[in-house]
Amino acid sequence: MIHLKAELLEDLKDSLPGLRRAVQNAIELELATLPPYLYALYSIKPGANLEIAGLIKSIVMQEMLHMALDCNILNAIDGHPVIDRPESVPKYPGPLPGAVESDLIVPLAPFSKQLVHDVFMVIEEPEDPLHFPVLKAAEIGAPQITIGQFYEAIKKQILKLSETQNIFTGDPARQLTTGFEVLQTLKITDAKSAIAAINLIVEQGEGTKTSPLDPEHELAHYYRYAEIFYGKKLIPNPDPKPGGPDYVYGGHAIVFNPAGVWPVVTNPSLSPYKPGTKAANLNDTFNYTYTSLLKSLHLTFNGQPDRLAPAIGLMESLKEQALVMMSYELVPGQTAGPSFQYRPVL
Amino acid sequence: MSYLNSVRLHFKGKFQAAPSTVNNDPVHFDNATFLPSYQDRQIVSGPPRDGWWNPQGDATWRLINCAVTSAWIGAASPAPKDDMIHSCLVADSDRTVAAKLVDLDPEQQLVSEIWGMQVRISRPDGTNVLRSHYATAAFADIWDRAQGGGGDIGAGAMYQSVLYDLEWGDIGGSVFLRTLRDAAPHGLLSIKFNVDGYNMSFGSPDFTRGRIAGTIGPASLNEPKHFVLGRHFMTTAGPGGNFFAPAGKINFCVAALDEPAGKLLVDLGNALPSQSAGGPMQDLGDLTLAYIGQDASGNPVPVNLGNIPYLQPAWYDQTAGIAEVPADRSLTSAEIAAIQSNSLALLLTPTPADPAQIAISEPADGLYVRADRFVYRMDPGDRRDVSLYATKWGQRYAGARIVSVFDPSQLQSQEFSTVGVPPDVAIPTKAVEFPARVVADNQGMAKLPIHVTDPGDPRLYIDGQVYGVRPMLEETLDYGVNYPFSPWEFVSLLAFSGFTPDHPPTWFGSMQPIFQQYANLYPVMSRFLNLADYDSVSVNVDLLQLAFGLNPEDPNSMPVTRDLSAAKRKAILQWLGHPGHDGRPLKGSPRPESAPRSVAAPLPPKAAPVEMQLARGGKAIAASRRVGLRQSIQLPRKENS
Repeated sequence: MIHLKAELLEDLKDSLPGLRRAVQNAIELELATLPPYLYALYSIKPGANLEIAGLIKSIVMQEMLHMALDCNILNAIDGHPVIDRPESVPKYPGPLPGAVESDLIVPLAPFSKQLVHDVFMVIEEPEDPLHFPVLKAAEIGAPQITIGQFYEAIKKQILKLSETQNIFTGDPARQLTTGFEVLQTLKITDAKSAIAAINLIVEQGEGTKTSPLDPEHELAHYYRYAEIFYGKKLIPNPDPKPGGPDYVYGGHAIVFNPAGVWPVVTNPSLSPYKPGTKAANLNDTFNYTYTSLLKSLHLTFNGQPDRLAPAIGLMESLKEQALVMMSYELVPGQTAGPSFQYRPVL
Repeated sequence: MSYLNSVRLHFKGKFQAAPSTVNNDPVHFDNATFLPSYQDRQIVSGPPRDGWWNPQGDATWRLINCAVTSAWIGAASPAPKDDMIHSCLVADSDRTVAAKLVDLDPEQQLVSEIWGMQVRISRPDGTNVLRSHYATAAFADIWDRAQGGGGDIGAGAMYQSVLYDLEWGDIGGSVFLRTLRDAAPHGLLSIKFNVDGYNMSFGSPDFTRGRIAGTIGPASLNEPKHFVLGRHFMTTAGPGGNFFAPAGKINFCVAALDEPAGKLLVDLGNALPSQSAGGPMQDLGDLTLAYIGQDASGNPVPVNLGNIPYLQPAWYDQTAGIAEVPADRSLTSAEIAAIQSNSLALLLTPTPADPAQIAISEPADGLYVRADRFVYRMDPGDRRDVSLYATKWGQRYAGARIVSVFDPSQLQSQEFSTVGVPPDVAIPTKAVEFPARVVADNQGMAKLPIHVTDPGDPRLYIDGQVYGVRPMLEETLDYGVNYPFSPWEFVSLLAFSGFTPDHPPTWFGSMQPIFQQYANLYPVMSRFLNLADYDSVSVNVDLLQLAFGLNPEDPNSMPVTRDLSAAKRKAILQWLGHPGHDGRPLKGSPRPESAPRSVAAPLPPKAAPVEMQLARGGKAIAASRRVGLRQSIQLPRKENS
């Protein structure tokens, strides 16, 4: 599992500004999961490994929802989400925002089962995953918390501050209510709705303490990645016995064809493309579009929710450009990949 | 006011234009005969492929690394050296997808428009000092700019439009930007850029990129948006060339007089030939601006006004081809008086031993008329008022009598297709109505109302029909087609066919043929969904509803090609928005097999290998397919008055 710096909790303290900082950090955390997931997703050749691609895409969509929910929470408590600040754009390889530095280093890498196991399952891993041994945690040095604990602390702080004041004074017009069905019904207006949103985020990511399913009866992210890794669907145990597992990886096989993945370069920022080359030009254009997306999302969550449509257009453009890059051979046996870096002018 | 103003900036960099080339061949629009190989990229020296050179193009248009190269706060007055404008870039949108480059029609590919572009003036860190929208506009004046031609690679063209919805950033630190803002009281700026040196080599890092050099200055509401109300130099076609090879080597161009400053501003940005595609200027010898006066006997004699230093290194980069003449002094009042009733001309002196020759000049009596916006898409029942401006010696020509005629000569229906014969253009003419004569008001302006009715399906598999309408000044009719004019200055319009979907619309009933055609012509879409497949379409309803519901000015609007009639768009949105009981758009039943339409026999092999011809590029081939009926334009008789 990911270990966040315990100082994030310190930051929360008893103040509303501290709570806003914490939710901003949650936004950055959710946003930072997207490039590595998308990198792996787009490395899968069109038409190949369809079930795996479908599972990753479903997780990506929910991570976007989580980011939107966090932004709505921050707007509801009269904060201002920051998405397009150059210094807060996540860097790869690197730790997730707020994570302890000895923790997982998240790369941009093509899809592989090892990547799913060593990185994606670790990102999504619950504090106490069901039915599986707890994977080896990072070395304990400074005090650490998990993502779930971090969200738990945010919930507590919302409740605590709400005891003495109304913290939900943000302009409701700043809420994003389109793009996801959930956003139409789950509007963040008070502590109750904010806590419902956080529960949804945590449970979609990690499941609950008793079930791998989230409240919408879909598998939590961790278990979807586990399905990919184990190569089988997680199904209710067909032969339940007292004390035995409720679920088993015993459903239909999720077949992985390694030939259906482009041999994309890992961590392109570590050995930058030579300026003036085709790969550099493609990468620059991708990064310009990526930066435009961050700017567009920033506007969407800062009073212009109707700018979601242009943002979706930018996401589609990124996909097209990533597919072009990942099929472009740099050297025999290796193709290019986008570095997801901040680039405000082309 | 326009960019051709004493207050202006110049920029230089690269552009990207990445159209799909599958739709370059009109015959590819026919779903009944479409073959998968029409989506295959032509490889130089490979076997013939029919997808031409960029079948995966996505119509992207971008500005790349366009640096401000100079800025002027008045005649002969450069912006201060420490003005921040000198470190700025001219960039495109940082909050939407890239703009789109769009042909009007496969049979009018020579007025490609840029849709949905934002233009920013930005500091290198991305801080905007200006954000604006570019009013959709097409290129004009395409010609063979590079020595030796070379098809699209050797071509040059220019775009002129206005920037609106100006959002100024912090410009307190820039004298230039404050001057520019104050010079534009209507909140409009004028932009013009020249494009050339286009790269069509798939393996090159610069594939689909080219050179761009341009100018931004103030604009005003009561002047044309897409050309300069000024002094227009006209030429005739010389021999050869793919597009237009000017007889005197210098292409159509324009000058404007800044009378208070005593300067003529002449724009040669798209008028001087280059040594190679995107390369330095060709040495044509000494170049001067002159007016044609008279000697004591009344014979015409050119009077020099000043030299143009076009061969100086970096001249083009720093000026985008605009010169202030004379450079070292102001025009005298006598000169100003003289040029207000005499033709301006550009003179070339190839070597000191040669006499100066007129390379290009204004017509003898300085008459000019042009439509401002010159590309239209119209649905049955639509009426558009085309704005015409008439000038004489660059001044508004009040009461000018303007005649308009059908002119299909530059439309492209001649046989080239590798796979069949393209359909005829500009018929039936009865679907397009406009008055033969209009009279300009006291501002030299006239509205030409064009009314369109359903043209039927004259092209069977291509929606609607394309037409050309050319305005001319009645006084020039005595010269017939010999009065100097630009072949490119006419109104192109696409009149969509009427369309009645099945009721309610279903996939098999009326949607499938529309989606199939887009899937055929734009293979890039397969990266998102298979438009030819009901299941793929029906799981992407949300995205499609969004994209088909957008204003065409939005760069995300579908179809990218902006060639969907209002009736078809309405039917698509109705179909997407009214799912059946299964929650999916109505599928309907497959149509019974209709009798196959007779399909033209394959063409005999071409004289030149097909791949050699395709390598010239889409624009060059479109130009070679022009109808060329110039000599048969039916000129109306002069009205007795």
